[in-house]
Amino acid sequence: MSALASAVRPLGPTAARLGRRHAWTAAVVVFFVLLLTWNASQTRNFGAFEIQTMLASTLALAYVAMAQAVVVIGGGIDLSVGSLLVLANCLSARFMEGTSFGGSVLVALVVLVVIAALGALTGLVISVSRIPDIIVTLATSFVWGGAALFVLRTPGGGAAPEFQALVLGSGNAWWPALLCLLAPLLLVWVPLRRSRAGIAIYALGSSKDAAFLSGVDPLRTKVIAYAVSGLLCGLAGIATTAFTGGGSSQSTIAINATLTSVAAIVLGGVALSGGVGGLIGPVFAVWSLYLIPNIMLGLGVDPSYGEVVKGVVVVLVVLIGGQLRLRRSRSP
Amino acid sequence: MTDSEHLLRVRGVAKRYGSVEALRSVDLAVVPGEVHALVGANGAGKSTLVRILSGVIRPDAGEVEVAGKAVRFRSPAHARAAGLAPVFQDPAFAPDLTVAENLRLTTTDAGAFRRQLAALGLDRVELREAAGMLPLPLLRMLDLARVLAHDPALLLLDEITAALPADYAERVFEAIRRARDEGRSVLFISHRLLEVQEICDRVTVLRDGRNVDTLNTADGSEQRIVAAMLGERAALAVTEPRKVAPRTHREPGEPALQVRGLSDGHRVRDVSFTLARGEVLGITGLEGQGQDELFAILAGDRKAGGGEIVVNGEPLVARHPHEAIAHGLTLVPSDRWQALLPQRSVRENLAVPLYNSPGRWGWIHADRELHLVADAIARLSIDTRAQAQAKRLSGGNQQKVAIGRWLVGGFTTLLCFDPTRGIDVGTKHQIYDLFRELAAAGKSVLMFTSELREVPLACDRVLVLYGGRIVAELPAADADEATLLSSAHGLADTLTESA
Repeated sequence: MSALASAVRPLGPTAARLGRRHAWTAAVVVFFVLLLTWNASQTRNFGAFEIQTMLASTLALAYVAMAQAVVVIGGGIDLSVGSLLVLANCLSARFMEGTSFGGSVLVALVVLVVIAALGALTGLVISVSRIPDIIVTLATSFVWGGAALFVLRTPGGGAAPEFQALVLGSGNAWWPALLCLLAPLLLVWVPLRRSRAGIAIYALGSSKDAAFLSGVDPLRTKVIAYAVSGLLCGLAGIATTAFTGGGSSQSTIAINATLTSVAAIVLGGVALSGGVGGLIGPVFAVWSLYLIPNIMLGLGVDPSYGEVVKGVVVVLVVLIGGQLRLRRSRSP
Repeated sequence: MTDSEHLLRVRGVAKRYGSVEALRSVDLAVVPGEVHALVGANGAGKSTLVRILSGVIRPDAGEVEVAGKAVRFRSPAHARAAGLAPVFQDPAFAPDLTVAENLRLTTTDAGAFRRQLAALGLDRVELREAAGMLPLPLLRMLDLARVLAHDPALLLLDEITAALPADYAERVFEAIRRARDEGRSVLFISHRLLEVQEICDRVTVLRDGRNVDTLNTADGSEQRIVAAMLGERAALAVTEPRKVAPRTHREPGEPALQVRGLSDGHRVRDVSFTLARGEVLGITGLEGQGQDELFAILAGDRKAGGGEIVVNGEPLVARHPHEAIAHGLTLVPSDRWQALLPQRSVRENLAVPLYNSPGRWGWIHADRELHLVADAIARLSIDTRAQAQAKRLSGGNQQKVAIGRWLVGGFTTLLCFDPTRGIDVGTKHQIYDLFRELAAAGKSVLMFTSELREVPLACDRVLVLYGGRIVAELPAADADEATLLSSAHGLADTLTESA
């Protein structure tokens, strides 16, 4: 009887269980708050303006990190998120130039649909061809990068100023950028996460076999994950247009965005093996990665070292987090 | 019997994987309200047939009819909609999702699931816990409850009782009987013929991808099933339930492994025993009595909180499996995938321990390796038809490779955890024989087994673990199932009796 009793013993109160599930996200939030406090103590009159600057300049990267998170949770990895960002940036900058506010909004909607469709196409190709995600998205990253060059050969383009202000806010108004960040979370991710399709994304990343046996359609799920990822990449491109007031098809922007997105999801508690994590952690990770060079600057350290410290932080955090998880799993 | 009376009818189903014919041609018929057993040696095609019937794979040829209508399942969901519901050895739960989320994936009604859980005597399971945090036997019970909640016409149970603690297994049998009383049919796959005799109405025997016999359990003896499973050539060797293999009664040899007061402060409590050279010592117990932790400590994979391990007269505190192996203490874990390199060849899997001790400048001695590997393959008669990748071997052959590795690498004490789990009778006897041979050659073997019936076949002596302690020690000759079972449940303190 005791085998039975020990197997079904209640596994601790609800709070402990929630703590266990969301420990990593909570840790990243705490980490961010510490960095923010540190940064604030370095800056005289730290306030709404600094917050607005942070939110506006990290908005695109936050979207891209969320885009990467969705794919990785579903058991893949997307090396084309940066290129999709650049393509969306070039498309929106070219066609928003000289338009009214209404015209810019319309262009934004069309770009979102196009980029989401490209994402869905990527998911379809991966599922049908059975070529690993990393290979297909590496290939498409070149394709989207090349397409961006067709759209905008040299940096240029523009957007309606009212549209830029709507996306990013201006001066001390920090809430528009935050609202823009929250919009896809609340309107797309939360409903999806609660639906069977969203659970299927987690299931596919967690165990392909179990998901298949449970009746998950792998093709449909992959396409949904990549479409949502594409939508977020589209938002990232439009945010870039709003922030820079134009577009640029430089490939370094794409590469930088892709690599930052991987660093952010790892730091933000998304397991590269899939099935674990969420979108909030990666966003806080992006903000943290933004603050580290600023703090270095405040300490009077050469900004180049800021990048080095960023890299070291990513490795350290993952190392410590991994050790803690291991210890927990060894002593139940 | 006309076709309309059959719930399931399979005709000439075949399936080929590359050059391997998993199923050549299988006919099978299941009537409503019948518990039908599917038995056969490893690689006979049982799992392939279940995977076809549950929509995981599609057959190359043949027909499947459900209630008189021909079906071709496109997906597991499609098969489930037609009333065919499988429970596999590995529960179909995504480990990172909660149980409740997993239920949503399969669109299982939570109320019906709760009722089935209660019927299985498991009404206090926390559904908001991540499935991966729950013990495997419990998860398999949850899988059964989930499948039952879908009101299936035919349950497909693939080795559901393998490594299941006895109390859970009993609940599974009750559930099967209830399902039969409700008019459902069950296709029951098991290596345990005793179970088959006890709960099944009819048995179909598969051999080499064909159905070779179908008989009623009432008039079919265990011998006839075994003979059909193995074919005529091998039947002679195992038809009679064998007594303890003949062994020379010598004085116990020098101690190979002495364990004194071992504990980890949690699951293992004050365990002491001595394993002599030339001895096969069995350990048995219900699920979760500290056996996993005990073997992990001995293999250097887990820290001991207190106590002493003495190997060949030298105290050993292994911080890493590498140190235990260097002292001749080697582990064959219960999960074969923990031991094997699935994508690599049989030869490489066997030779892996040799890579610890390369020659000068890191050279591997190819001749020596070839020789040792060939010797291990011959001694264990490993089937090398699918040797390019270990993952393509049948379960029994995978287990042989996991054990054979240490014949190549060398050891003084072999730690084997449930070495015969889920493998066929013929292979089991080969493994027992190997253990006896090793013992005769002066090696020692410590094996945990959840199958009480194999204790007298393979062991000299047996210890029973209960709540992390050794509660009984018996010579294998006295270790009948009843005695072991009552000690394993903590009912009798045979330690004092035998002393």
